[in-house]
Amino acid sequence: MSKPSSTLADIPGLVRIENAGKEELTAHCMELTHAVYPHHQVYGQYCTIHEYVDCPPEQAYDYLRQGHHLEEWTCSLRDFAATGTPGLWAGRDRLEDDTRIYCRVLANPEAMTVDYHCSWDQGEQLWMIYLMRVVPARLVLDKQGSVITWTNCRHPYYDDNPHPGLAPRPDRPWVGDYWDLFYAGHTLEMRNLKAILEHRHRGSLPIGSAPARAVAQ
Amino acid sequence: MTTVSLTDVACYLPGEPVPAAFYTDFPGAEDKLRDHPMFKVPPLRHHVARDETNADMVERAVQPLIERHGRAAVRGVDVLLVHSQLPDLPFVGAGTEVARRLGLNPEWLVDVANAGCASFVYMLKLARQILTSTDAKTALICNAQSAAGQWFTQSEVRKLAQAAVPGDGCGVGYVTTSARSPVLDVVTRHIGEYAGDMTMAVDDGRKYWEPGESQLRIGFTDASVAKVLARGNRLVPEVVTDLCRRLGVACTDIDVLITNQPNRTFLRNWREALQLPAERHLNTFDAYGNLFGAAIPITLDRALDSRQVNDGDLLVLGGFAHAGDFAGAVAVRWHGDRN
Repeated sequence: MSKPSSTLADIPGLVRIENAGKEELTAHCMELTHAVYPHHQVYGQYCTIHEYVDCPPEQAYDYLRQGHHLEEWTCSLRDFAATGTPGLWAGRDRLEDDTRIYCRVLANPEAMTVDYHCSWDQGEQLWMIYLMRVVPARLVLDKQGSVITWTNCRHPYYDDNPHPGLAPRPDRPWVGDYWDLFYAGHTLEMRNLKAILEHRHRGSLPIGSAPARAVAQ
Repeated sequence: MTTVSLTDVACYLPGEPVPAAFYTDFPGAEDKLRDHPMFKVPPLRHHVARDETNADMVERAVQPLIERHGRAAVRGVDVLLVHSQLPDLPFVGAGTEVARRLGLNPEWLVDVANAGCASFVYMLKLARQILTSTDAKTALICNAQSAAGQWFTQSEVRKLAQAAVPGDGCGVGYVTTSARSPVLDVVTRHIGEYAGDMTMAVDDGRKYWEPGESQLRIGFTDASVAKVLARGNRLVPEVVTDLCRRLGVACTDIDVLITNQPNRTFLRNWREALQLPAERHLNTFDAYGNLFGAAIPITLDRALDSRQVNDGDLLVLGGFAHAGDFAGAVAVRWHGDRN
């Protein structure tokens, strides 16, 4: 490891045991450890939530990778149907009247990651990206079930609608106006997800459901 | 019910201020953290003289009370509570010696050995209880801290980063059955779960009183420091919040908060957690360092002297002890007249 260290020496600001020492590392960490953190500091730029779900990770992943299930566990995404573009679904976000939401699911079965690439109003550039991951709880909590994480990053479009002309009406509020409620809103949705998966798993019911519609209007 | 007041406080700081260089310039001193804003050592602190005892410090700290309230009033206290951070003798507390020096004849005399850095809060609670439930009318509560100039100046310990933070001093409180500066409420919590986590390290494994070469030091490891940080971060805001809830006030209604002052991190974190501006969370860390149990009465005395506490202020004193085995907070409506 001595060779990489010599090149790292040129990079300012690194805090590593080789240059800081254990005591200084501890001191840095103590300084960064507060008793409380303001909401904007924790959730201002990124919003990550996580939940334990008593449902096998394979089934939780399989449920999430099927985008139409968003209609079950999200608060307001409804009426998804496939569009003419393969993999792209369109639905309504009932958070606001007459608001279309487009969504594509990018899932990786090995990593059990499910990324929803979404956007209001248009399906050309999907920039509202929800990054979810299912982790076997056996690995991280030594118990059955899943840990599900969910991260959202504050894309600049949240603060500035790039296509105001596509809004169904000029006074329709913008999705980014809700950013400060994302922790709360996503927490409610994560609780929905947990409740659905646990109810079905514990009742030995089918975990998923069939899509309500096959084709976009 | 009888109302009990924290009528006055006074303090004593031994000797001339000792500059940080006493530690930072010492050969072999750990110096990595000296420039770190959060961990930079306090510029000044006081040290007891070699022959100065806890009883000596209490005797000196009480003098301003005698001047302000009269010798008879102090001599007449019914209750004497003494907390010595570093007892001068095993077996024997400083209490009876304090009584002898000051000519006291208290019905109640307790050497409080627990509640550490928050023992002023705990002694105030004890005094209040005794004064409300017995014939006792007045109490003297005393916090003596003499570890800095003795323990932390040992030749090996002096090199350690932990050595440069403590300071010595003594703070005393005069508690009376009066409605003038009433103790509004007290919240205390003994947390047995965290007992025993603060240890003394003696490297050769001897008992502290057995002969040997190794020097006693506080046995905090990095891991235990992290644990204590987490506990302290939680405990002090919790007891203060609990106290405010019981009083029906918001934490932001606290006019003056005084806590123990282990380091700058805790002071910052508690202030942030309680959403109080720095000017309402008073401390004397830069001048006196970590005063352990004596911090609360000493900082209050200094604050009164510099008129940082106003008539009618909601004064809250709080802190936690050791590695988290005790936490407490007390509220006082301050109407003392110092000047």
